[in-house]
Amino acid sequence: MDDAIVFTLNGKQVRYAGSATARLLDVLREDYRLTGVKCGCREGECGACSVILDGRLANSCMVAMGRVDGGTVTTIEGYRETARFKALDEAYASVAAVQCGYCIPGMVLASECILAKNPHPSEAEIRVGISGNLCRCTGYNAIVKAIGIAAKEGEGLW
Amino acid sequence: MVNGYAPISLREALELMAAHKLTPYAGGTDLMIEEKREDSFLFLHKIPELKQVSDDGEYIRFGAACTFTELLEHSLTPALLKEALSRIAAPAIRDEGTIGGNIANGSAKADSALIFFVADAQLKLAGAGGERLLPIKDFYLGRKRLDRRPDELLVEVLLPKKWLGSYYYQKIGARKALAISRLSFAGLLTIEDGKIAHCATAFGAVSDVIIRRADIDAMLIGKTPAEGKAAKAAYLAAFNEAIIPIRGRVSAEYRKTVCLNLLGDFLERFGI
Ligand SMILES: Cc1cc2nc3c(=O)[nH]c(=O)nc-3n(C[C@H](O)[C@H](O)[C@H](O)COP(=O)(O)OP(=O)(O)OC[C@H]3O[C@@H](n4cnc5c(N)ncnc54)[C@H](O)[C@@H]3O)c2cc1C
Ligand code: FES
Ligand code: FES
Repeated sequence: MDDAIVFTLNGKQVRYAGSATARLLDVLREDYRLTGVKCGCREGECGACSVILDGRLANSCMVAMGRVDGGTVTTIEGYRETARFKALDEAYASVAAVQCGYCIPGMVLASECILAKNPHPSEAEIRVGISGNLCRCTGYNAIVKAIGIAAKEGEGLW
Repeated sequence: MVNGYAPISLREALELMAAHKLTPYAGGTDLMIEEKREDSFLFLHKIPELKQVSDDGEYIRFGAACTFTELLEHSLTPALLKEALSRIAAPAIRDEGTIGGNIANGSAKADSALIFFVADAQLKLAGAGGERLLPIKDFYLGRKRLDRRPDELLVEVLLPKKWLGSYYYQKIGARKALAISRLSFAGLLTIEDGKIAHCATAFGAVSDVIIRRADIDAMLIGKTPAEGKAAKAAYLAAFNEAIIPIRGRVSAEYRKTVCLNLLGDFLERFGI
């Protein structure tokens, strides 16, 4: 038990020397100060802690650090730098899909995973894609609309 | 790494399991719920042998660390299994959660395990003493008690292909995306040359272990649908005896009634 856990975090290779059983959510917030990753439940139920792990959506509260060894983690802080984020950001703003904002980092990463898999999703597919991301404010309709708009306006990005 | 190992082959993993007291970690979606994590983890995500899917003619063989999403996207995954997998939780849980973890967690609520029960799947376990194959039913000894030695890993699930085509599946949950199933039922029934060639049923989340009673299902096998209809009352009565529900979030009587209704509906769908 010697080597550190090595992974790519928002495009940069990092070494984590702490416990392999620590929660990715806690490590991202406390060790890497990535506080865009929110904690809503610690039980895999709300999606506020969503990150993209090896190209797929994951609840970081449900992931132990050893699992990310050799892998790639993207949080909202890394994703913000992309053109795709810009398309989603504008789409969310255009329909006022953001209220308190607590769910939004996770929701945006879920949106990315929907569009990365299927650049032209149906409304039903969008709803399935965000079904693990709870929002206590908006009632989801504006968010679903925003993802549809991003798919159209961001044509070619995904 | 501290408090964990991430081996890159099955051989290395089995050596580590034999040498240390380790908890296998597949997707973590059951393990990470528990606040206290005293054991060190053996991470399975880098072991290629546990990620393979193949068809050997008789069985579809699924590596234990295949995630639900991977199997939903795989062309060899049969429709019944896909239907059950697509109803599990939400995308982020399906992306990490594995069939091996679903089975080895030992819960009667496990949705993929239900399908492996109704299909009489075999499990391949490997440990310091070598490999062994056992029917999934024999792996479950009781509530959260499994026939797994501390040095053993679940390696593969062997799903018999023969009777999977003609099926019935129902999951009755609380909230759609999140609920761990409150109740689930799967049935296989094939009629060949005017006779019931195969009948298999499994009930999830109703008892300590998924209920699979091949002896009762055998009451219908070999009969014509008309003879099956005549035997239906006795068949339902036998399951009424066999299903001993646990008290859970939904009352025991309710669970049992729903089970028997689903069983009746299953037979009706096949004209019995
Ligand atoms: C929000 C939420 C919703 C959920 N909804 C559902 C649902 O609808 N249906 C459902 O069935 N489940 C559901 N679950 C439970 C869970 O996601 C599944 O049981 C999943 O299959 C567990 O797999 P895992 O790989 O994450 O297991 P882990 O948590 O990694 O492991 C579970 C157990 O199995 C052991 N284990 C894992 N792999 C092996 C192996 N190869 N050999 C030996 N032992 C092993 C571990 O040591 C541990 O004891 C839900 C969980 C959450 C958090
Ligand atoms: S904090 Fe991880 S899903 Fe709610
Ligand atoms: S905007 Fe408040 S939780 Fe979604």
